[in-house]
Amino acid sequence: MVKRYTSLAYKAADDMIFGKSVYPVKAELGLEVGAGYVTAEVNYAPRPEAGVSKEKLVSEYRRLTTDIMARAVQIGFPAVSLETEHVEQMTNNPDWGGEIAHVQKTILEEYHEEYGIKCGLRHTPGDIRENRDLLALIGDKYDVLMESFEAVADAGADFLSIETMGGKEVLDYAILRNDIPGLVYSIGCLGSIDMTMIWEDIRKIADKKGRIAAGDTDCSQANTAMFIAGGLLDKNLAHTIAIIARAISAPRTLAGYEAGAQGPGKDCGYENTIVKAITGCPIAQEGKTSTCAHADVMGNLVMQCCDLWSNESVEYHGEFGGTSVQCWSESLNYDAAMLNVATETGNAKMLRDILVLSDKYRDPQGYVLAYDNAYKVAESIAKDGDDLYLRAKNAAIACCDILNDADSKKLVMSKFEINALNDAKAALDAMTDESETFMSESVEKYKAEVAVFRPDDNYKF
Amino acid sequence: MDIDPSKILVRYNVAKEKAQTPEEMAAELYPTAEPARTICAAIFDGEEDDVIEGLEKAIEGGADPVALIDDVLMVGMKITTDLYDQGVIFLPNVMMSADAMLEGIEYCKEQGGAAPKPKGKVVCHVAEGDVHDIGKSIVAALLRAAGYEVVDLGRDVPVDEVIAAVKKESPMMLTGTALMTTTMYAFKEVNDRLLESGIKIPFQCGGGAVNQDFVTQYELGVYGEEAADAPKMADSIVAGKGLAQLKEQFHKH
Ligand code: B12
Repeated sequence: MVKRYTSLAYKAADDMIFGKSVYPVKAELGLEVGAGYVTAEVNYAPRPEAGVSKEKLVSEYRRLTTDIMARAVQIGFPAVSLETEHVEQMTNNPDWGGEIAHVQKTILEEYHEEYGIKCGLRHTPGDIRENRDLLALIGDKYDVLMESFEAVADAGADFLSIETMGGKEVLDYAILRNDIPGLVYSIGCLGSIDMTMIWEDIRKIADKKGRIAAGDTDCSQANTAMFIAGGLLDKNLAHTIAIIARAISAPRTLAGYEAGAQGPGKDCGYENTIVKAITGCPIAQEGKTSTCAHADVMGNLVMQCCDLWSNESVEYHGEFGGTSVQCWSESLNYDAAMLNVATETGNAKMLRDILVLSDKYRDPQGYVLAYDNAYKVAESIAKDGDDLYLRAKNAAIACCDILNDADSKKLVMSKFEINALNDAKAALDAMTDESETFMSESVEKYKAEVAVFRPDDNYKF
Repeated sequence: MDIDPSKILVRYNVAKEKAQTPEEMAAELYPTAEPARTICAAIFDGEEDDVIEGLEKAIEGGADPVALIDDVLMVGMKITTDLYDQGVIFLPNVMMSADAMLEGIEYCKEQGGAAPKPKGKVVCHVAEGDVHDIGKSIVAALLRAAGYEVVDLGRDVPVDEVIAAVKKESPMMLTGTALMTTTMYAFKEVNDRLLESGIKIPFQCGGGAVNQDFVTQYELGVYGEEAADAPKMADSIVAGKGLAQLKEQFHKH
């Protein structure tokens, strides 16, 4: 049985700041995360043609890693962290991922030795646990995935991460139907159950190999909702529903820490500020400097409490200013330098608040994720921390309450967003307070409605 | 510290919002006769049970169950999709309306013992190696909502399977979705294999990774930027447009 969080790591929202966490973590080559400074975390994807063979792929990562390190010392940056999100071949063939981690780590070691630059390496195996149309969370594929973690940990990856898919089969159905109980069930319950299983095992591997079980993100669900919601004029999902999904994702991501993750949390977890309030563990974030990968409506705001600052992903290729990884790593590092100057000169909170106010009223999503409101969502989760269902429902209700209490002259919502919010709140109010009732009713309901939902094969209830 | 945000950002969605509510706008479009009016409203609201109840009444009153599909169910659905196209209502409403309409169609088929001829058949798929299927599901739902028969091959579909399905189903068009730069190349192969077999149907491709420049590289390809372009293109094909005209219409960049 894992121990669930029932209290917050921070006494007040105002104590939360970028570059600092309650429980920093330390990588092998001098890099500390959350220990008082922000570091760039550079992300990249190989060119499509590099995937044809192991040799080509290894060579691609060797080149791009060297490029990033070379640029970092050319511009005089004191630290840098790299994240390798596996393409499917690297996870399905654990020795591929392992060899790439080894090659990358060797380059980092050389630069560390020669220049003293502090560096870290995160590897994120892909969640390969599915067969064409069905999730296969438990079984053979799970074993291959764990082998992949072993291989990259062995080869030197400091931080182990993954973007798990538990609950996604129900979310995909629910999110296109404004089904709020379905969001609570898929993200808060199914997702957390899977997280609890997988993160206990990742932590074991990390401990065995002397690495750090870093963290997960609800990319597969909350980011799906955020992308379907899109920009201000898109008509596929109300942004008020997208932020409810996001709020529910915080207790899901939290479940990873309860099962053994220590941070830094994954960059695309926009729920991470809520999670940091509870765990005190460092987090990575992405926003204004990940426009190479996606657009969002809170690019400055998400910097507010980051410990690593990421570009999410960029394809490796040439740009006018060097290779893409050099350009984007340079931008990230300059951002980090600015944040660190604010810290050194005692202006960190001022800069944090400027970043927040740039986007707090741009969209309901940024409003709820602003650290003061995120903290309130965190409190609602910890209140019933022992009950996966109740804490997910609490997070959703807290999110609705925050939006309903918003100063309507500042956060101006469309009628459409307000109606969706009211409907969601009514649906939440109609939900039971009994976890067991909810779980047993939901399993029957979604078995009937979602053809690809196979609870018995995928979840250790 | 706080701020008056009006100087730093514009909520264009709020600024552009219509004065009328979606319900009011829909009500203006419903047919006046009953029970068609009630059924259309039930479709707009996504209430399956009310749709069936309305159909029961209509059939009791002597209406032909199969004729009800085109005369009432499709009319109600069109009101919903038109309002979506105008940006008045959002996708989940369309999905729920489509669910309600499809149940209505099933009911009418059972009652009438026959099915009307659909407007046309479309095969949908996600490229081989790619699991990102929400965009495809939206495309399929909007096509069904517009009265097309959809053969949904799902995600991560091998090229062989796409070709076999096209040969078996003889659709009027094929759609492909890809969200990864690594998977979209399968579309070129699908194109070549179709041409080899002498099949020249329009192949509409979309999804995060795909762009117009890429799609222009193969003969049958027509770029689809948003899901709503799929039923629009199907309608254009029904209206007799050929590949060149379709490209003219949908290649907006
Ligand atoms: C949600 C998501 C996932 C979910 C998918 C859930 C699902 N059921 O689809 C999950 C978690 C499973 C996932 C997994 C992965 N993902 Co992913 N994912 C995303 C994300 C965040 C959003 C995609 C989305 O759903 N958008 C919303 C839908 C509605 O948009 P859409 O499909 O484009 O459809 C719209 C239009 O394009 C159009 N449309 C689509 N098809 C068609 C067809 C026609 C005919 C027409 C007319 C229109 C049309 O209609 C829709 C609405 O208008 C994107 C980020 C991004 N920037 O896009 C990454 C992204 C696509 N993923 C990415 C990656 C790398 C992965 C993984 C490999 C990660 C990993 N290491 O495990 C795996 C893939 C595994 C595999 N083998 O496929 C990368 C791809 C990079 C690349 N190489 O090109 C992206 C771009 C993220 C990034 N910036 O790095 N992902």
